[in-house]
Amino acid sequence: MAVTALPRSETGPADRQRALARSLAEASGAGAVEIGRIALLPGGAIQENWGIDADFDGGPLSGPQRLVLRCDGLTGVPSSLGRIEEFAVLQAAFAAGVTLPEPLFACADPGVLGKPFFVMRRVGGSAAGRPITLDSALEPARPAIAERLGRELARLQTIRPPRADLDFLPSIGPVEHIAQFRTYLDRHPNPRPVLEWALRWAETHAPEPLPSVLCHRDFRTGNYMLDGAKLTAILDWEFAGWGDPDEDIGWLCCKGWRFGRLDREAGGIAERAPFYRGYESESGRRLDPERVKFWEVMANLRWAVIAMQQSDRFLLGGARSLSTAITGRRATECELELLMLLDPAGAAERAHA
Amino acid sequence: MRDLPASRDLLALARELLLDELLPLLPPERERDARLIATSMAIAARETGAMDWPAEIIALLNCFYGETNSDLLRRFAADLRNGALETSPSREQAARAILWKLTIEKLREGNPHFLAANGFRSVAGKGK
Repeated sequence: MAVTALPRSETGPADRQRALARSLAEASGAGAVEIGRIALLPGGAIQENWGIDADFDGGPLSGPQRLVLRCDGLTGVPSSLGRIEEFAVLQAAFAAGVTLPEPLFACADPGVLGKPFFVMRRVGGSAAGRPITLDSALEPARPAIAERLGRELARLQTIRPPRADLDFLPSIGPVEHIAQFRTYLDRHPNPRPVLEWALRWAETHAPEPLPSVLCHRDFRTGNYMLDGAKLTAILDWEFAGWGDPDEDIGWLCCKGWRFGRLDREAGGIAERAPFYRGYESESGRRLDPERVKFWEVMANLRWAVIAMQQSDRFLLGGARSLSTAITGRRATECELELLMLLDPAGAAERAHA
Repeated sequence: MRDLPASRDLLALARELLLDELLPLLPPERERDARLIATSMAIAARETGAMDWPAEIIALLNCFYGETNSDLLRRFAADLRNGALETSPSREQAARAILWKLTIEKLREGNPHFLAANGFRSVAGKGK
């Protein structure tokens, strides 16, 4: 990573640390803030997350605090909220009782770090997908975790438009999604017949819309933190917007997010039943498998486009990252899943053939 | 005409060296990078040694449309978008067979493990 907002260690540019300390003191009402250790946290393909230990002298946060500062990474992808907007979504979700690190301050002034950022509390745990889906120690707790995720999702869906504090959020339904995916495919040099075929199916099978809710749009394994078996945070709200309540259900169940446990259809951690049960009991709304299937198709379409966009960061944006460059290959995994979802007879005919 | 060992063999040896000898020496936070490199090498090796399935797809499309055209894949994609192949069940069935063939062959090169994990043969055989 060639350009970063903050130094990698305490010995980095002192002026930015001083500017950050002043900004934190001003925002928190502290007399002064002393910044200790700063380290880039793992993950965050699009955003950077910095762990910061800071000591607040006075104000409501007085004393030592463990914080996370979140700012833009080197390259973004389309449809990602800015950090100030993401901060407003976090505030709304936190107020709605969703489990996430308390959002504390946002700073739009580029004079502090060169780009907007926000600061939240740092909570314990890890979000890494494979350890979560493959750790045998989590085995007995998996249904409870899935059920809890269902409840969390229902809770965030209590946030509904219109909301003056979230009036910047895009409202995206099937028609808009399909149009966006096709616009992307039209610009892409390689034709993708499977995606076109599945988009046509989606266009002709879109269910009747339900009232809009807040969609996280990246609610899946890899974006929630577990400390042991305890859920400590739902992360990465940068794609949030208004949309269909089943969109996030389909996204979490999408095969691309099962991290080596394809058999566990709720995010690689459990069967669907406990996840659905948690959602239904918290929301009071019974899930319709046909609607969920529609949104799972949409999830695979979206994941395919995102995977291709990641490769574009190398192909078009010049990002010299093997990890992002190779991600585009995963679009074909989505295409296989689309074929399996929409042509089960064809799948049965070809399986083990 | 090319010197030996062939690039495919060199890639296989290099991959073994990376995974068997270098990977254990790396700090844990770089393990994923090493595996990504190994995956990239495996894809390259499979593409180097694979049968010419893109030519097979072109041949299928030539047959499907009854004409020879270098850009039939784009036309196929456009027809699928517009629903132009939905008027005839046999045409739709034939189009779907091409979609399956295209996807399975891509994954045989790109991610045969994923293909196998979903119940499909990860190497070309006498099957469909």
